[in-house]
Amino acid sequence: MTEPLLSVTDLKVHFPIRRGLLLDRTVDHVKAVDGVSFEIPEGQTLGLVGESGSGKSTTAYATLQLVRPTHGSVRFAGRELTTLRREELRRVRRDIQIVFQDPYASLNPRMTVGRIVGEPLQTHSVGSRRSRRAAVADLLELVGFDPSYTNRYPHEFSGGQRQRIGIARALALNPKLIVCDEPVSALDVSIQAQILNLLKDLQRDLGLTYLFIAHDLAVVRGMSDTIAVMHDGKIVEQGPADAVYTSPQSDYTRALLAAVPVPDPERMRARKAERLRLRPALSQA
Amino acid sequence: MGRLLEVEDLRTHFFTRAGVVRAVDGVDFSVEKGKTLGIVGESGCGKSVTALSIMRLLPTPPARIVSGSIRFDGRELTTLSERELEDVRGREVAMVFQDPMTALNPTLTIGTQIIEVLRRHLGLDDRTARRRAAELLDEVGIPRARERLDDYPHQFSGGMRQRVVIAIAIACEPRLLIADEPTTALDVTVQAQVLDLLDDLRREHEMAMILITHNMGVVAESADDVAVMYAGQIVEQAPAHELFRRPEHPYTEALLAALPDLDDNGARSRRLAAIPGRPPDLIDPPQACRFAARCPYAGCGDSCALEPPALRELRPDHRVRTAHPASEREAVTA
Amino acid sequence: MSATQIAGRVAGVDAGAPIRQSSLWQDAWRRYLRNRGAVAAGILFLLIVVWCIVVPIVSPHDPNRIEFPDAYQGPSWSHPFGTDQFGRDLFTRAALGGRISIGIGFGATLAILLIGVAYGAISGFVGGKLDNALMRFLDALYGLPYLPFAILALAIIGTVNFWTMVVALSVASWFITARVVRGQIMTLKENDYVRAAYAVGVRWYMILGRHLLPNTLGVLVITIFLELPGVILGEAFLSFLGLGINPPDASWGSMAQDGRDAYRAHPHIIIIPSLAIATLVLCANFIADGLRDALDPRTKET
Repeated sequence: MTEPLLSVTDLKVHFPIRRGLLLDRTVDHVKAVDGVSFEIPEGQTLGLVGESGSGKSTTAYATLQLVRPTHGSVRFAGRELTTLRREELRRVRRDIQIVFQDPYASLNPRMTVGRIVGEPLQTHSVGSRRSRRAAVADLLELVGFDPSYTNRYPHEFSGGQRQRIGIARALALNPKLIVCDEPVSALDVSIQAQILNLLKDLQRDLGLTYLFIAHDLAVVRGMSDTIAVMHDGKIVEQGPADAVYTSPQSDYTRALLAAVPVPDPERMRARKAERLRLRPALSQA
Repeated sequence: MGRLLEVEDLRTHFFTRAGVVRAVDGVDFSVEKGKTLGIVGESGCGKSVTALSIMRLLPTPPARIVSGSIRFDGRELTTLSERELEDVRGREVAMVFQDPMTALNPTLTIGTQIIEVLRRHLGLDDRTARRRAAELLDEVGIPRARERLDDYPHQFSGGMRQRVVIAIAIACEPRLLIADEPTTALDVTVQAQVLDLLDDLRREHEMAMILITHNMGVVAESADDVAVMYAGQIVEQAPAHELFRRPEHPYTEALLAALPDLDDNGARSRRLAAIPGRPPDLIDPPQACRFAARCPYAGCGDSCALEPPALRELRPDHRVRTAHPASEREAVTA
Repeated sequence: MSATQIAGRVAGVDAGAPIRQSSLWQDAWRRYLRNRGAVAAGILFLLIVVWCIVVPIVSPHDPNRIEFPDAYQGPSWSHPFGTDQFGRDLFTRAALGGRISIGIGFGATLAILLIGVAYGAISGFVGGKLDNALMRFLDALYGLPYLPFAILALAIIGTVNFWTMVVALSVASWFITARVVRGQIMTLKENDYVRAAYAVGVRWYMILGRHLLPNTLGVLVITIFLELPGVILGEAFLSFLGLGINPPDASWGSMAQDGRDAYRAHPHIIIIPSLAIATLVLCANFIADGLRDALDPRTKET
């Protein structure tokens, strides 16, 4: 059996809480991520769901080494990332990219679309200036834009369009893995569907592997092969998507599923009763 | 049951430098006593502006209600003076906003903020008001209510803070509660609890409610009647069970189809039915049907490409603004 | 297969055209023009600068020539601002003084910007312990009174001329700018586009130079006009006290000092430079206010 593209083992990220005026000292730790393990085979999607504060975004940042983990291992394409030095890490970054939630904060307002999408190529000195310009045009076309928009600025685009620009930037270096951190939660339903379809098409055509993070359980289901449910820094349930949704094993997952509003008024009563029953599974209101 | 609120041909426009934004452009609806009307739509469709118009809480300028009437229990709200409105707001019509972080004053205790409302509208003395405030917190499900009166907003979690906001809103037993995206800033599990709470309170207090949301699931869970808004207008309006079972407007259908399904086993291998394009610019909306450019059924030379369709009653209580409702399409193909 | 090779093959993804066409700076400029007070202040400011540059060149009077017979004249056609106790034409001399006052003002402001941006950017970008240390040091400097600090700086340098004045005044007043820039950098650092740049492997100096500093530009432009009044007033005070520009050179401050001895009999000698200072400072404040409204993205478009 081949090794999965990404395997994360017993990942922990603890943030120190510091106190003191002149000489601060660590008084405690926030265990944002506390022993998380998962694997993603090449070409597949792992959906990571959880509520705010569950540690799912921190897990993503730690996987990317944007936050250095306190403990644990992150193996990507056969290499251990946690012990890599800065220069080696820079080279590995070409293969792992990220798409962010907020389309307004994820693009530098002072850079043109062309420079934003071309920055990864420039950073790694891929090709000549001319070939980079051609690549940027292709990337824009790939996410559905007319390449003539390269000299426009981010504020001239709508939220959904900006998200496409962010996706084009993530694709620039032909990465193997893309971490999607709540890529559609800031978008309207109709735009959300466009972006989700785009991500699916890109995965199919480019053989991408996704770590897909979201709080919307319905969105995650449609995108993922396997699902991991996070709560308080830990994974409480993990398995094939359909299994997790049709026969959840943990009470927390059940409570989470019962809380999702479903566009079907007929089932309202039953679901409300189910929610009341599962109330104790949620640590707090 | 009678009608508590009747809105007729409401038009609220924003007079900006770039032009007149027709944010709400001819909206009619009514709310029955003790019932919940859900207003659903995407950002910029005018649902929040509608709510704020009812409360007359929009900054003027740039916003102005250019025409229409808003009758609350037979009383016209559009012509009331600011003084008269102050007696209506909070007393008879109360509002819950999206962001529980900014809806409360961070420098005052929760108790002070509830008591302020009770004294202002009901003229209660301090001791009675304090007792009542504790009861209210208890009612919205805040544990140890009496002790928590002296806490400040930052000592509560987001969900708990929204409960406090709701307690303030229901303090004077209003007959209409307008909730503008009350759960959008909250986690799903907390959202469900807050929605359940609102539903329970509405029943017990025989309040009517307008629930404004972008989430189809939220309306389905909580509303008796639903109005779907698009580009400043209501495009479809029906009782909730009817709307979700037999949506008529192509936009409603498309919205429901674009929604990822929680119970769909094969979802992984399918694409979603995305709606192409974007809503029109409300400074210069199309003369024709506002959905025509994105509508799969609008052909060229169609009447809807030339003149705007009117809101018409297709079945009792089911009104729709399109030339191509689902039931008539079936009739043609059959 | 590479992403760029399959361009256009993905079905049904038309993203549409940009929803608006505008430029951030043009929008800001448009908003600035809408603020009448700020526009008037800007025009007046420019007029004063032009006066300072042009008048000494074209004036028939030599601003430094002593003509005792003409001393203490009130405003007239040949001397619009009158003359001083040495019979020098004040219209020309005030323009010359303005050159030095405004010159020192802008010089010191630019120096403040340089020191402040460097200090604040390093502190905010590196963060952690270094930031803590740099900020505590700043707190200590904050406690020092502005003018005595400038006088001390001048004393240490030893000589007084245009450039030493610039140094002394900027050394005494870069703290606020440093703190503002640090705050900006700290906020900007939390933006996802900075995170995205790290994730791509962009080197730290490029992140600072491309993603952080350019986004502080708006604040820096405002800072210029916020710092300018303080520096110009500071220069005027020092010169008025006789610690600044030496005769026969003039700044508005030293001209006011010239008028001090005869302020009862001939008040115009002290009033003219004081008025010039007051007008310039007021203009700078109005301009700063207008710029803040114009460059703040939260300003409502109405």
